[in-house]
Amino acid sequence: MLDAPLLLAHNLTRYYHGRRVLHGIDLELHRGEVLGFLGPNGAGKSTTMNILSGVLAPHEGSVSICGHDLSQQPLQAKRHIGYLPETPPLHLDATVDEYLLFCARLRGITSAAASAAVGDSKRECDLIAVGSRLIGNLSKGFRQRVGIAQALLHAPAVVILDEPTSGLDPNQIRSVRSTIKALTQRHAVILSTHVLSEAQALCSRVAILHHGHIAFNQRVDQAQHAMRIQLDGLSSDPDWSLIAGITSGESLGEGHYLLQVVDFDVAANSLTRQAVAQNWTLRELRRDTSPLEQVFVNLTCNDGADFA
Amino acid sequence: MIRVIATRETIALFRTPLAWSLLAMAQFVLAYQFLAQIETYLHFADKLRAIPEAPGVTEVVVTPTIGVSALLMLFFIPVITMASLSGERRNGTLALLYSSPVTSFQIVAGKFIGIGALLAILWVIIALMPLTLMWGATLDVGLYLSGLLALFVLMSAYTAVGLMFSAIFAQPSVAAIMTFGLLSGLWLIDWATRLGQDAGLFSYLSSLNHFQRIAQGLLDTSDLAYFIIIIALALYVTTWRLDGDRKPL
Repeated sequence: MLDAPLLLAHNLTRYYHGRRVLHGIDLELHRGEVLGFLGPNGAGKSTTMNILSGVLAPHEGSVSICGHDLSQQPLQAKRHIGYLPETPPLHLDATVDEYLLFCARLRGITSAAASAAVGDSKRECDLIAVGSRLIGNLSKGFRQRVGIAQALLHAPAVVILDEPTSGLDPNQIRSVRSTIKALTQRHAVILSTHVLSEAQALCSRVAILHHGHIAFNQRVDQAQHAMRIQLDGLSSDPDWSLIAGITSGESLGEGHYLLQVVDFDVAANSLTRQAVAQNWTLRELRRDTSPLEQVFVNLTCNDGADFA
Repeated sequence: MIRVIATRETIALFRTPLAWSLLAMAQFVLAYQFLAQIETYLHFADKLRAIPEAPGVTEVVVTPTIGVSALLMLFFIPVITMASLSGERRNGTLALLYSSPVTSFQIVAGKFIGIGALLAILWVIIALMPLTLMWGATLDVGLYLSGLLALFVLMSAYTAVGLMFSAIFAQPSVAAIMTFGLLSGLWLIDWATRLGQDAGLFSYLSSLNHFQRIAQGLLDTSDLAYFIIIIALALYVTTWRLDGDRKPL
């Protein structure tokens, strides 16, 4: 199985003004994983990320990073965290180089090693060309990348990014996404986002947070395996679980079905064979492209809540 | 780590026109005051020579200049310290410090020293002016140094108080007003005693009393302790406030 988790959060609970905003969150993150954090506004995403990065302390529960408890050994634990908050913590009066150098020193990198670390981080985030520019004069996309670069300076085991692509134009989103994709080879990443397709494209696992609870926590490829079909000639709904590769099925009316499958190809093969044998007319068979959206809507929309 | 934060703080202060304009204004006002005192001294010089044990040039020129400097600090320091933590809180840059391997005390000490470095420049400027008197007069070195010491501890205490309010309030202007309020309150608090009432506590709390005694060369550890207690208390509250941001109450 996997090695020891880089980040282990247990029973995180936090109150704001007497109101409980996090209800016993448990999380695990292993090397090479990208965990997508989804949820409506006010679900507790930023609070959770602040707790995981040591900016806030939980009322109950504990976080350990690379085996160091964040409340008992904060300095050791924080050496392994790179954090980009929702608002990038930038010094607008400094140049990119000055700012990153300050961040590197703040993370305990010696002055001799700091400029090399800054160079690596700038390369990773494609910032070489703007090193001597004032951060205050940079576009939002560049600022966001400077924010990501400061989180990577000390090559942390865990990188926590709070809505790294929010407020960017499509081109900037693409470039930030490709930066994040490149990170996954060396770091474990937690990122929060509102964009479901982004979570699907970038993350290996998705956790949906709702009203301070983790309502869903699964690998993306598992969540992704769904199939939509349209069949004619059925007398009654078949028992889908008898067909190889299909775990369950749901009738959507007029011969449309949504099937949960283990492996798309296996399921498609066995279904077409079954259709021929049973003399069904298969009119449509396609991969369900938005299962995550479906899951998200099912979990979070039933009460229309949008807590502030 | 403290040095890294302090260096950043000093550089950030000099990035804005604020530090430069304060230094320029302070220099302008104090130079004018200094010249005016010299003028006064020259006017009375003959009469003073006739009196035995008369106040010398240091007492007439240097000590009042340092007194006016102390008064100016009442206005300048709240403005310099007001944004040091509240600004970071507003810009979201506190999260950078909080998620880095530094303790709250290191953050506070770094900020204190960083602002102190800017004020040290102002202090050196003030210290240099009386030295020009040495061309034509004899300076009472003991009095001169004790005046500078009084100004030094006063400026340090004011900085610590300013930092404390900057940590407590998210709005820099509120932090400045509160700092100014507390410091001027402490400066003026012994006015009650001047009405002839017995006000031992008020008199002890008065920063003016302690400052004047040190500036006049009456070195007493209790006067120094007064300022050191203020510095320690203010820095402790600042650290406690930063810890309180993270720790649940």
